[in-house]
Amino acid sequence: MKHQIREDGGAAVVALEGDIDLKTSPEARKILIDAVGRNVPVVVDLSRVNYIDSSGVASLIEAFQKARKSGRKFVLAAVSAGAMRVLNLARMDKVFTICADVADGLAKVR
Amino acid sequence: MAKSAPRKAKAADKETKAAQAAVPSANAMDLLAAMGLDFATTMDIESTLAGALRRIAGYVGAEAGALFMLGSGGTMLRCHACVGPTNIVGLSIGAGQGIVGRVVQTNKGEIVRDVEDDPQFDGQVDAKTGFTTRSILCAPLSVKDERLGAIELINKRGGDNLFEQADLTLLEALASSAALAVLNARMAAELVEQERVRHELELAAEIQRSLLPPPEGPDFPAHGVNLPARTVSGDFYDFFRLDDGRVCFTLGDVSGKGMNAALLMAKAASLFRCLGRTVHEPGRLLGRINFEIAETATRGMFITMVAGIYCPATGRVRFSNAGHEPLQLHRPDGSFEEFPADTPPVGIVPGAPGEAFPEVEAALDGGALYVFTDGVTEGYTAEGVELGIDGLKDILIRDATAVAADRLASVARVLAAGGGERGLRDDVTIMAIDDASAADGRSAHPSGRVAAPAIAAVPVMTLRLPAVADRLRLIRAAIGETVRSLGGAEETAHDMVLAVDEACQNIIRHAYKGDSKGEIVIEISQEGAKLIILLKDFAPTIDPSTVRPRNLGDVRPGGLGTHLIREVVDEMVFLKPPPEGGNILRLVKRIG
Repeated sequence: MKHQIREDGGAAVVALEGDIDLKTSPEARKILIDAVGRNVPVVVDLSRVNYIDSSGVASLIEAFQKARKSGRKFVLAAVSAGAMRVLNLARMDKVFTICADVADGLAKVR
Repeated sequence: MAKSAPRKAKAADKETKAAQAAVPSANAMDLLAAMGLDFATTMDIESTLAGALRRIAGYVGAEAGALFMLGSGGTMLRCHACVGPTNIVGLSIGAGQGIVGRVVQTNKGEIVRDVEDDPQFDGQVDAKTGFTTRSILCAPLSVKDERLGAIELINKRGGDNLFEQADLTLLEALASSAALAVLNARMAAELVEQERVRHELELAAEIQRSLLPPPEGPDFPAHGVNLPARTVSGDFYDFFRLDDGRVCFTLGDVSGKGMNAALLMAKAASLFRCLGRTVHEPGRLLGRINFEIAETATRGMFITMVAGIYCPATGRVRFSNAGHEPLQLHRPDGSFEEFPADTPPVGIVPGAPGEAFPEVEAALDGGALYVFTDGVTEGYTAEGVELGIDGLKDILIRDATAVAADRLASVARVLAAGGGERGLRDDVTIMAIDDASAADGRSAHPSGRVAAPAIAAVPVMTLRLPAVADRLRLIRAAIGETVRSLGGAEETAHDMVLAVDEACQNIIRHAYKGDSKGEIVIEISQEGAKLIILLKDFAPTIDPSTVRPRNLGDVRPGGLGTHLIREVVDEMVFLKPPPEGGNILRLVKRIG
């Protein structure tokens, strides 16, 4: 799994890439929680995440809960079909704010 | 260094005497016997050790003595008792430091006649205390290879001031019985602690039982059963009648097991009792409970929960299902109607306090509405297979004419028998709301299950891999390719990849508990249009009755993986494990 973080107008855009599975989810969790820890809104770009499993979903939930606690926005953007399927199955599509693309996500958190 | 020269001159002469005196004298035997008895009967090991040290120092004629014990990490030695002019109780040194450290490491007693000649001697303590150490007698405190510490005596008084072999033999004998006593005391303390924890768990279980409603007579519309898999349960149900005659009910399942699940269960059940008296709309009630739970819920924990209200006058029920197993309405004509969840579980998204969860309203039409946890459908029958939703329906159909309490007892009996001595796999909780307006209308209905036509299974592929997270990628690639090659759609391939991945994770994390030496065998076969995947592991057969603490650092919402598997496959069932142990999970998916 690879990742990139960039600042865009006061928000952090975290782009994850590859498979988020049992092996890589601890790293994904750390990246997401660190991003939330910056105390800025977070947009998670999932366009290049081909596969996400329950441990990956749990990492997203935990980061999302942390962001909520500190009153920061946390949205998912450009979710790939594979990842969207798992979020739907986990009934997490209603939990997260899911935006069509990163620009939408940035508009949503501002 | 004038003082050491004459002492050394006498040393050779002393060696022979020492060898002759290596057997403890009659007095020494008396001392050992007395101290052995002290150790065997003591209730206060620390003061007995201190007393023993005093006596042996007196007997041998040492100026000072100290007893060091290894700390829990095994890296430090701490002085627990001492005699002599300076008090060093509480002093800590490295586990390999000084002569006492060496004795602990080599596990062999030593006579050091002149510390000046021993480079290992650590003068720091002397420097701090002003005491002058000349010679040391030191014996390890150990039982076989279990090292506990060491006893040392310092500077022999009188005579030629040299410790003898007989002194060491005596000290070693004393050290062995002291070590046994220390070990016994530690084991006794652990037993007391275990007993205390067991007692507290039982108190907790008693409080939990008190949160469940008392059984009602046959005329009351609501009945429930709860069988905890362990002492305490993460499941709950409750019902009570309002003044207007309507009956409020709830049933829930906290993610995870053990004490933290039990505590969250207590909170949710209490909130329902309290808020349910005034909030008579199930959707708003769940919204309110969600607000309270999500505000304080710990990492990753959540509750799948149903809340509802039944009106006996109209036979109608209103309920809200937050992430829970579908409710089943058994109609008088024998058919079942399913009401799946339409909102995520409670405790994940902190909504507004006034937020309402979606509600469903249905006429029971003289039927019975069943709400239950996955412990019911995933529990084993006596045949060693999961009861499953069809198995549950079979029991409810067979006993349809019985009163609710008896129908629920039938289900509980089947699962208790299936659990056998190994106990239940998960908490079992089931509740029935009988539409009293037409209770006689229900009739026994023959099972509508049709045996599948027998088509021989054709083996497709077998994978045998180490049960480690590193291999999941490979497994996913293999499953994806296999499903595609058998004509499965891209979506089916993705879903089956997910199901097998999650099942393998369960094996890695729960069956092998991270032991990387285990193996997973994946056997894929095709039976007509059905893809059959068997996942085998060789870990101990999963036994929910063995209490193991949940890792609090484990943030993954419990059961999410299993939920995903169930969502995507047509059938998921644990087969009866082979007698030599292990687990076999069978997944079935219709493709093409």
